[in-house]
Amino acid sequence: MMHRLELVASTALLVLGCGFAAQPQPASSAVLDVPVIFTAAPVYNSLAALRGGERFPRGAKLMLLHNGRIAPLVPELAASADASVSFDGKTALFAGKKIAADPWQLWQIPINGGEPQLVLAASTDLIRPLWMPGGRIVYARRGASGFVLETASLDGSDALKLSYVPGNFIPDDILRDGRVLFDSGYPLGAGKTPEIYTVYSDGSGEEAVRCDHKEAQQAGGREHGRELPSGDIVFAQAGRLDRFTSALANEAPIAAPPGSYTGEVAALPKGRWLLSVHPPGERHDELAVWQPPVAARFSGDPEARPGATRLTTIARDPQLDFVEPALAAPRPVPNRHPSGLHPWTTGNLLALDARLSRSGELRIAPAHVRVESLSPAGAVIVLGTAPVAGDGSFFVKAAADRPLRFVLLSAQGSVLRQEHGWVWIRAGEQRVCVGCHTGPERAPNNRVPQIFAISTTPANATGGH
Amino acid sequence: MNRRLSPEGYPCRRSQAPEWEGTILCLSKLLGATGARLQSRKRRRQMSRISAAVVRSFAVLVRSPRVVRTLLTIQCAAALIAIALSHPAIVAGAAQPSLDYTEPYASPLELLTSPDGSLLYVLCEGTGDVRILNAATGRTLRTIPVGHDPRGFSFSPGGRRLYVANSWDDTVTVIDTKEDRVTSTWKAGREPSSVAEDGAGKALFVADRIGNDVTVLNAATGQIEDTLEAGRGASYMAETADRERLYVTHVYPNPGAYRTPPQSEITVIDSAKAQVVGRIPLHSISGVFHIALSRDGRLGVAAELHPKNLIPLAHVEHGWAFVDTLTVFGADVGRTAEIPLDEIDRYYALPFGVAIAPDKSRIYVTSAGSNVVTVIDTQRMLAHIRAHRRPFAEDLAASAGYVIARIPVGKNPRGLTLSPDGSRLYVANRLDDTISEIDTRTLEVAGTIRLAGPTNVTALRRGEQAFYSAQYSFQGQFGCSNCHIDSTFSGLQWNLEPAGFGRNIVDNRLIEDLRGTEPFKWNGGNPSIAIECGPRTEMFFWRSQNYDDLTLADLVLYIRSLPERPVRWLAADGHLTPAQERGRAIFNRTVDHLGQPIPQRNQCAFCHSGPKGTDQKSFDVGTRDPTDDSGLFDTPQLTSIALTAPYLHDGRAQTLEEIWTVYNPHDQHGHTSDLTKDQLNDLIEYLRTR
Repeated sequence: MMHRLELVASTALLVLGCGFAAQPQPASSAVLDVPVIFTAAPVYNSLAALRGGERFPRGAKLMLLHNGRIAPLVPELAASADASVSFDGKTALFAGKKIAADPWQLWQIPINGGEPQLVLAASTDLIRPLWMPGGRIVYARRGASGFVLETASLDGSDALKLSYVPGNFIPDDILRDGRVLFDSGYPLGAGKTPEIYTVYSDGSGEEAVRCDHKEAQQAGGREHGRELPSGDIVFAQAGRLDRFTSALANEAPIAAPPGSYTGEVAALPKGRWLLSVHPPGERHDELAVWQPPVAARFSGDPEARPGATRLTTIARDPQLDFVEPALAAPRPVPNRHPSGLHPWTTGNLLALDARLSRSGELRIAPAHVRVESLSPAGAVIVLGTAPVAGDGSFFVKAAADRPLRFVLLSAQGSVLRQEHGWVWIRAGEQRVCVGCHTGPERAPNNRVPQIFAISTTPANATGGH
Repeated sequence: MNRRLSPEGYPCRRSQAPEWEGTILCLSKLLGATGARLQSRKRRRQMSRISAAVVRSFAVLVRSPRVVRTLLTIQCAAALIAIALSHPAIVAGAAQPSLDYTEPYASPLELLTSPDGSLLYVLCEGTGDVRILNAATGRTLRTIPVGHDPRGFSFSPGGRRLYVANSWDDTVTVIDTKEDRVTSTWKAGREPSSVAEDGAGKALFVADRIGNDVTVLNAATGQIEDTLEAGRGASYMAETADRERLYVTHVYPNPGAYRTPPQSEITVIDSAKAQVVGRIPLHSISGVFHIALSRDGRLGVAAELHPKNLIPLAHVEHGWAFVDTLTVFGADVGRTAEIPLDEIDRYYALPFGVAIAPDKSRIYVTSAGSNVVTVIDTQRMLAHIRAHRRPFAEDLAASAGYVIARIPVGKNPRGLTLSPDGSRLYVANRLDDTISEIDTRTLEVAGTIRLAGPTNVTALRRGEQAFYSAQYSFQGQFGCSNCHIDSTFSGLQWNLEPAGFGRNIVDNRLIEDLRGTEPFKWNGGNPSIAIECGPRTEMFFWRSQNYDDLTLADLVLYIRSLPERPVRWLAADGHLTPAQERGRAIFNRTVDHLGQPIPQRNQCAFCHSGPKGTDQKSFDVGTRDPTDDSGLFDTPQLTSIALTAPYLHDGRAQTLEEIWTVYNPHDQHGHTSDLTKDQLNDLIEYLRTR
């Protein structure tokens, strides 16, 4: 609390006294002609929320950088962070505290001036809100076993939980195709290595963006993904920038200047990036603009160019981290996801060929699949066992909205392969998989699954739930 | 039966031709003479229907042919007023920006460059002409009218002649390229779609889409000399540089066993012998479009669809509905290989046109549903194929190994052609009437040529653009035209998710001339096209935000405007053949071969009644499968029924005959067990005329 009060005082003093303009690098309108909202904090633990902790242990303030000046966006509140700008560029949605002792709540404020309005209050923290299409928002709500992904209307009504396994789930971005990009641990529901996932706005279809998890585990994990206009998802990994691009099944490195990056890249006009970076030798993160490289597509490609070797600092403070930059400008509205969930209490899952996996095909044909879940106490329980057809296909009705794990068994009952983590199926969801962890790059073969010759009724693996 | 000709010269479909049909003819002529410029044949047919409605009302009121004739002038005027009233855009006139009845759009479909590269030949489907442009300036030098709905064209060796395949009047137009005039119009097969002359100048080969064959014409006289059996939906051809071999592709899959992957083929023809000498099988492929060959003949490339119709369509991501691929073959490849064009999160829907650079360094492919030209590095592609002995068509990360550029172009890019030196690539953007000119050095659009024609975009045009766009589906994977190839059908059966996994399999249906065939879906569950294409499509097909209501209205307008295609199986004089007459009698019979009455519900003409051959009701015809929830199925219309195999609600009958001989053991689907083989043949012959 003491630290938090110090930050507020310090920030207020700086803002009132010199408006951050004297000490930080001046924002050049020639470099940055778009207003920017960012979070200023004495301490920023970017991965803390993924461990259920506090990212801003000494408080935080949203700042508006505009026309070369920096000013607090919400001076009325004791703390503010996590700005998400509305699609029309006029309103900021954020997490805030009226007084320092409050939990984080969800607020909004007109960017061009006005009073902050409470959007959603709770007795626990609500953090990282994002605008979604259709007048809805998504955010993380602190629960008994961590941060849960949740969506609601802007007035807080019609709330819907999106994550159903243990762990912490922190939203990062809304992809143009309408899916929610979020951070959680890998293996999902069981591990602590940060990884990036997607889920539809009705909680269905949860999956990792890519399945090259080994690379992420070796590097320390991925965090804070943001989708750029190109469709690439840029994220931070052990302080460096990497990306997922549509054409590749594995992450691709980004040759950025030296520094430790937090991810959270915002795309500026002319292909430049606004990002938060901790330069070598400095104590805090600062905001900088960088011109990334364009790779040559062919020999002599006139479009190809190397990235800038240096960052252009936009704003910095010797006592504060400047993080979570967001452009205060209109942006395209992502697609709305039309939920096709059926009015059921369970879900169905069809695997086309359980033998297939990114880590190699099974040499022994599985005869059965065991569906497992977790009890409220965290113990593994068996929901049921279903046959696997000769072509590796199986079709089960599984308990919905709870952790699920699929274990492939031989005819003798020995475990051939089992998932490392947990997944969930929404009530009324009918999910289909190519295999067991084949990766998003693997499209299905076009053949009728043999399991349908046995039955088109899914084997019951609900465990009575 | 005396079949009258429609205003376009096609046989009218109604078997009973009342007096007012003559009035429609006059009315349509009047409309044309008075300068009512209609957008296309589809619009003309729509107009004709509106006119017919007005005239029908007169006929009912007056009930006297003589009086009808005397009131002809008044009727025409009334029809014009009705047309105007039914389409406020006309009344609004110039103040209405989306005026529907404008002059036709050019709709450029195919391109060729002259041998010296100075001229660009543009085949315009909408206006039915060939436009000759100065390739350097883009200026239109001449416009040569050709036949109805031209679909393909090619030069004779040396370029002295330009042949045009006219798909709706079954002709080939011959153009003298020195004089730029039509010298001949030759009769060809059924729905000519492309044309190629052999190296000796003796034979002209015409791929016929609904004839499923290649017609061989005498290149000097135009006489039909032979017909070669091709695959189903024969449409596009490419010749080796020496013109000794001809390769033919097909837009519909060949007939195959129920619930097995679709199969297509590349038919290989020896041009000199005019014989089929090979068939390259294309496994799991349904729609194949353009094919190209390198100048040295060692590399062939065909653009195609790889559908996933046998697994439940429960989501779209990860190529779950379609993958867009190329088949590459020839000595350079060493085997036939299928290579994907798509990426993990992005799709390049409906690959259509394909061209190979003169030096073979690159392959260019248009994606008609994604408005993109994909550029492939040939050497990288070949290296990728050699490095992967196992098929990799399902690997959405593969294209990163050989695709070097995706170039945005105009709406619905179709045919493309390279300048002789390969420095320029021209792309025909069918649905915005432009030609994109790509600099192949920089791989950027260097210029865009706008063809003469309407500058406004009508509701009908917007509807057609929506129909051919993949932008509404999740990650842009597919559009309406994936399953309704060129606004027709696909010949595939699907397992839709809400119907249950592995259950309620349904055959894709033709969407020609849908008015009066409601309801839609095999279970008759959708009362209108708007409902068929609206929220249900968004939720269970696109799995992504759909078009807005205005676009949906435009789309519905477009679908409802699709006419039936001409009947090709009548006798030369437009009458039914004797076999067809016998078949019609069987279709309409009320007693069996012993003279015993056939229950009304078991007579063909009872359910398949009316002008479209449907009473718009559902019946149990004994075809329920254990995986079907119900045995009640919507009575399908008989429009162009002979073309749309397979049959029955789930496509289990490969032929019309199988409907009766295999899947009608208890005479529930019409009383057919007493029919002989010859009688069944007659019945089929009659159905060809529907």
